[in-house]
Amino acid sequence: MQCMANEGRHSQMLRGVLDICLLAVLDAGPAYGYEMTKRLRERGLASVGEGSIYPLLGRLERDGLVDTYRAASNGGPPRKYYRPSSAGRLALAVGVSEWRAARDAIDAVLAPVKIEVVS
Amino acid sequence: MSDFVEQCRTEWKRLGVPDSIAEEMQSDLASDIREAEADGVAVEELLGSSASDPRAFAASWATERGIVPMRSGRANRRRGRIALIAFTGVAATALIVAALLLATGEPKVGLAPSRATPPPHFLGATASFVPPPSRVQASAAAPIEWMLLCLAIVALGFSAWLWSRWDRPRVPTAPAQ
Repeated sequence: MQCMANEGRHSQMLRGVLDICLLAVLDAGPAYGYEMTKRLRERGLASVGEGSIYPLLGRLERDGLVDTYRAASNGGPPRKYYRPSSAGRLALAVGVSEWRAARDAIDAVLAPVKIEVVS
Repeated sequence: MSDFVEQCRTEWKRLGVPDSIAEEMQSDLASDIREAEADGVAVEELLGSSASDPRAFAASWATERGIVPMRSGRANRRRGRIALIAFTGVAATALIVAALLLATGEPKVGLAPSRATPPPHFLGATASFVPPPSRVQASAAAPIEWMLLCLAIVALGFSAWLWSRWDRPRVPTAPAQ
C-alpha cells in the first residue's frame, strides 16, 4: 500500500516535469522516441511513470515546442526525429528555472526533517 | 507487441485519424517497440502503464497531437462506460423482475366470479344454495413474462460481450506499472 502511494507520488511529480526532461534530452541532439527513452534512462530516469512519452511528444509538437523531420535511423527504418524549436528552448530555460526554484523551496521545507526510511 | 500496435491502429481508425498520420504513428511505435525488445528493455519502460491499455494510449497520443478533439479521447470512453453500466443495469433489472414474476406471480389461468351473476335461486321448496356461475379468466401475462425474460437474457448476453471487449486485456504479458 505504501509502495503504491510512493509510486503515485513519483508519477505525479514526473507528470509536471517530464516535458522539460524531454526538451532537455533533445537539447543534446535530435532523437526519435525510443532514443529519448534511452537518454532519459542514461541520466537516471528509468521509468516514465504512469504515462508515456509519446502523447507528451505529440503535445510538444502541437504547441510548436519541437520541430520534426523523418530520417533513416542507424540501420533501421526511417524514424521521426524531434528537436527543440526556438520556442522549445525558451520553454526549457523557463522550465528549468521554475524547477530549480520549486526544488529549492521544497528543500527548505523538508531540510529540517531527520526521519529516514530504513531499508 | 504487434497486437498492441494493431489495437492502436484500430482505435485511431475509430477516432477518425487520417490514414497517413496513423501509418506514421504506427510505424514509429512498432519500430521503437521492436528496438526496445531487441535491447531487452521491458515494454513498460517505454510505454509506462499505457502498455496495458492500447486504446487509451492511442487516443491520448492522437488527442495530444491535436489530431482529434479533446473530448474524443478519455471523455468518450467515460460516457461510453456510463451508458454501458446503465444498459447492464436495465437488463439485469428486467431479468430479475421477469424471474420474480414467473416464480411468484399470479396464477396464469384462474377462475373468477362472473359479474353478471344472477342472485342465488331456490329450487322448489327446499332452499339450496347454488354457487354462482364462474368463467375461466385466462391471463395473457405468462407469454409477456417469458418474452421479458428472454429479452433480458439476450440483453445481458450482449452486455457481457460489450464488457468483454471493453475490459479485455490488451497485452497479456504486460502488467500495469
